[in-house]
Amino acid sequence: MRTMNKSTLIVRLLGSAAVCLASLLAVPAWAAAPGITGPVFDLVAKDGYTSQPDGASVYTWGYGCNSAPAGFAPATVAGANCPAGQMQLPGPTLVVTQGATVTVTLTNKLPGAAGNTSILFPGFKVCAATLNADGSCTGLATGSPGVLAQEAANGGSVTYKFVATTPGTHSYYSGTQGDLQVEMGLYGALIVLPTLPGGLPTGYARGTNLPDTCFTVTGKLPNGAPDFRLAAAAYDHPSACYDREYLFQFSEMDPRIHNQAQGQVMADKQKALAQRCAVPTGCMVVETEPYHAAYFLINGRSMPDIADPNYAPQYPQQPYNGNPHMHPGELALVRIIGQGRMQHPFHEHANHVRLLARDGNLLLTPGNRLAGPLLFTTTTTPGQTMDGIFQFTGKSLNWDVYAHSATPGAGDKYTTDPLDPIYGAYNGTAVPVCHGDANGYYTTASVPPAPLTAPNYFEWCPDHQRPLESKPFGAVGQEGPVTLPDPNIVVNGAWYAGSPYLGADATGRAVGATPIPPSGTVANSPTGEAGFAYMWHSHNEREITTNNIFPGGMMMMMLVDPWVFAIDESN
Amino acid sequence: MPSIHRFSRLLPVAALLLFALEARAQSFRVQCPAGTTLHPADTSKDPAVTTAANRAKYSSITKLTRTDGLLDPTPAMANPGIKCQQLSGGDGFATMGDGTQTYLFSFGPLSGLSNIVKGLPGTVPASEFLQNNLASDGTVLPAVKIGAPDGLAYDFNGAIGLVPNVEATLGNGTSTAVVDGHLDARLVMDVGVMNGNIPAPMIAIDEGDELFLTLTNVGMVMRPDLFESHTVHFHGYPNASAFYDGVPDASVAINIGGSFTYYYLAPEAGTYMWHCHISPPEHLQMGMVGQLYVRPRQNTVTAGLGLYAAAQAAQLDVSTKCSSDDLLCSVQRPATSNSTLASAGKMYAYNDGDGSTLYDVEYPIQMHGFDPNFHFVGMTFNPESFADNKDKYFLLNGRSYPDTVNPDPLSTQVTDGTNHFSQPLSSIVNIPAGGRALLRFSDLNVTEYHTLASLGIRMHVVGYNARLLRDQDGNNMDYYTNSVTLAGGESADVLLDASGTNPDGTPLYPGGSVFYLYTPQLDHLANDAENFGGMMTEVRICASTVNAATKQCN
Repeated sequence: MRTMNKSTLIVRLLGSAAVCLASLLAVPAWAAAPGITGPVFDLVAKDGYTSQPDGASVYTWGYGCNSAPAGFAPATVAGANCPAGQMQLPGPTLVVTQGATVTVTLTNKLPGAAGNTSILFPGFKVCAATLNADGSCTGLATGSPGVLAQEAANGGSVTYKFVATTPGTHSYYSGTQGDLQVEMGLYGALIVLPTLPGGLPTGYARGTNLPDTCFTVTGKLPNGAPDFRLAAAAYDHPSACYDREYLFQFSEMDPRIHNQAQGQVMADKQKALAQRCAVPTGCMVVETEPYHAAYFLINGRSMPDIADPNYAPQYPQQPYNGNPHMHPGELALVRIIGQGRMQHPFHEHANHVRLLARDGNLLLTPGNRLAGPLLFTTTTTPGQTMDGIFQFTGKSLNWDVYAHSATPGAGDKYTTDPLDPIYGAYNGTAVPVCHGDANGYYTTASVPPAPLTAPNYFEWCPDHQRPLESKPFGAVGQEGPVTLPDPNIVVNGAWYAGSPYLGADATGRAVGATPIPPSGTVANSPTGEAGFAYMWHSHNEREITTNNIFPGGMMMMMLVDPWVFAIDESN
Repeated sequence: MPSIHRFSRLLPVAALLLFALEARAQSFRVQCPAGTTLHPADTSKDPAVTTAANRAKYSSITKLTRTDGLLDPTPAMANPGIKCQQLSGGDGFATMGDGTQTYLFSFGPLSGLSNIVKGLPGTVPASEFLQNNLASDGTVLPAVKIGAPDGLAYDFNGAIGLVPNVEATLGNGTSTAVVDGHLDARLVMDVGVMNGNIPAPMIAIDEGDELFLTLTNVGMVMRPDLFESHTVHFHGYPNASAFYDGVPDASVAINIGGSFTYYYLAPEAGTYMWHCHISPPEHLQMGMVGQLYVRPRQNTVTAGLGLYAAAQAAQLDVSTKCSSDDLLCSVQRPATSNSTLASAGKMYAYNDGDGSTLYDVEYPIQMHGFDPNFHFVGMTFNPESFADNKDKYFLLNGRSYPDTVNPDPLSTQVTDGTNHFSQPLSSIVNIPAGGRALLRFSDLNVTEYHTLASLGIRMHVVGYNARLLRDQDGNNMDYYTNSVTLAGGESADVLLDASGTNPDGTPLYPGGSVFYLYTPQLDHLANDAENFGGMMTEVRICASTVNAATKQCN
């Protein structure tokens, strides 16, 4: 399969699109929704430093692993780690199964000046004492009394137990002095996988003349490619199945708050032991208003750091990235959490998102079908989670995104890597046919059925062989509606593979006798990935900056890749 | 605070220098075929081509390189399903509610100028777009001039700069100059320089249309240091291609001196929006934001025929069907059959199949905000900061109250002393007596959320983010409220229904009544230092009907 070269540095050029500067180190970077497994978790709250792309090292408090976790999920993500006694931002993503009794022990290793800390698990009935089989909570509570939750005193610990009753995406965060502690970074995600009898949602049936949409987790997707899902579906519902999943936690930072906190913590540490802060409410006197956020984070990182791999060594305390990839037709589960204190209009380019659930609660009709809205901007709200399904098909553009040509010649032949185990067999063969299924796509429900390994699987057939370009140029269809611009009057972006078309095969055929300057991109190679790139970002556009520097902040690139390009999320 | 933004701007310049060898002086051109494969031209529609024999000399499809010996169809033969529009990307000035002249990075109209100055969408059929700017004696049409359009009487909707291309040849080998999209740069610059509008020129299309949208970058006269390229992002376009999505990182951006034609098949009906996607925190704050909506095919259902039957018929075509298995299916059929018939003279926001989105007259209203400090910095070559952006002007269609209730286009004097219509769009909502208005709200503010409330007539929210509010069972999920809150990048379709009577039989909303749309975010009811104005406009009930063209009470 083709591989992908990504560069940390080149993404810093976005906004300028100076592709001629490409060379640089190659780092594959993928996403998935990685986390640690339980259901018994031993967490720590601790201080540390997180890095931002402007070079700042920001004093941060965060949750982390107090001892090695039971395991990591998905197991296929390489380099997974959760170093004992170290904080991370966001805290470890806790992955559990619906119905499990979850035990979270929190040890408070924050500086003494911070006082007590705690964790809230909104939506769950939490017991800090003995959780009995009947659901009652009896006996002596662990930890110290707090307002919203039992707390871990400095150096002490508290143990929370709850039954993971509600599947879906949830948040957890500090219930102690939240205006300071959450700002400092004490938050994380909890993913509850649904109970799926037989591995598939109850009542799932393949649609009439439509392909399967639900697949059990076996380590392979139906076409033989690796599987990075945590489960077959986000909920026990036939419309909650997915092929890929991504978790995005939105938060912001006001560096002045962090600097003040750091100063006070250091001052306290320099006092004689007997004079140091030792009260449950801590000794921090930090002004959290007026609030001037300068860092706008997704999963604790900003663009371009967010494009680097999960567990990248350069961000030892920010392990999670945001770098979604998908193939046409695949269902991508988007798990969105509003952490922090502000709302952010998260705009998904390329298509609408079908909202499945809020705070782990499916939005259903009386007929048990989806009732959630279709949104091109999913506003995040502090304390709220959303699960949505995103799908891109390229439907109804009125031109063939693969540049399939009806004209005999190079335009009707496929070029693939002959060594590719799945798609190599297509090299030099005639352009695949496209027979529409009940919804017009080329799938296993087409007659005759599409092979699951068809390079144009899920193509929108009414546009098959419809040309885009008017003039003959390269070996793509002609007599279409438009003429492409003189390359001298445009600038190419770092994620622009050099043609309007999807895939290296089409991009290669779309080149005329003389190469088009400037050619070649780094982030989305014309001969390798050649995907369609889209920006997913906060539409409060001032938030796609990092401490006043554009580009940065709450921004990532989502890639729709051709099927012949393998999406490997194992890092 | 210093910004690397300045440095990053130099990079494309460096790239240009490397590849400048083949560059021509400019490449201004529009693309607007009279006929395409999807929308072939009707060769019988040109009154100048009378005989069948002559008609046979014409192809139904416009091609740039012909080898079949036929002629391209004439503009008069154009298929009405082909819509075209040309925009300038550049700069300009606008007038704020307190009288302040504010600098913009902005788009301006380079076609449909007559429509734009009247507050209407600038999108026109190919037949109207493809007008030679030269009179038969070779002189430039009086309409194509500096400061155009210059008043409500202005009546030219053609593409600015369109002249016969002396280098072009006809497909049959003759060398007569033809109008093939070539633009005269002088005419483009005369009209396009400093003609920025806020909001940017409005785009409106019908489902099934092909839209040829040309962006012509005329440069920013006030900021010659910037070499700023621009793009068009059709915000919300479903299943968008990356190429026409307008994100410079993922596609191409259009340099000064160039034109690029974006091509879209009109998507499902709804209230979308558009904006430049170059350095969004800067270009959007500076004013490169506009309105865009798509009208549903349900508007074409013959009066007296059933809307539900039309929705059923749409299921027979995979392009318009909405399968219950399709998670992203945009418009489910109503849960139950109904006998609602298409009404003469009415329009619909969506293919609702039940008439629930029926309206008499529509008002696109875009929310935005300007930070005067940022605009001052943007005009004065200084580094910008983003984190502490603070809007002080709160705009509906680029104006603050009381300008929002001025029915006329607002003009602003630019630095060369000429007047340009900077804010053509009033926000007065005139509702026919007992009728319904559709408010197409969109928000492209870049700093904060906006709330708009209605005093007197409650809001009926039927659409959100360009989608009908309907669940997968086909139940309407519409709701009534007194306010909507939108972030930048969100839209909502809201009906104001002035029907109903009091117990004594008198109209609930009698002609002559005035209500208000205003923001309950009270600090947004200000025009910078003036504690008065901001995001507010009037809803007026007309004594009878509303003129659909002028949006004024009859």
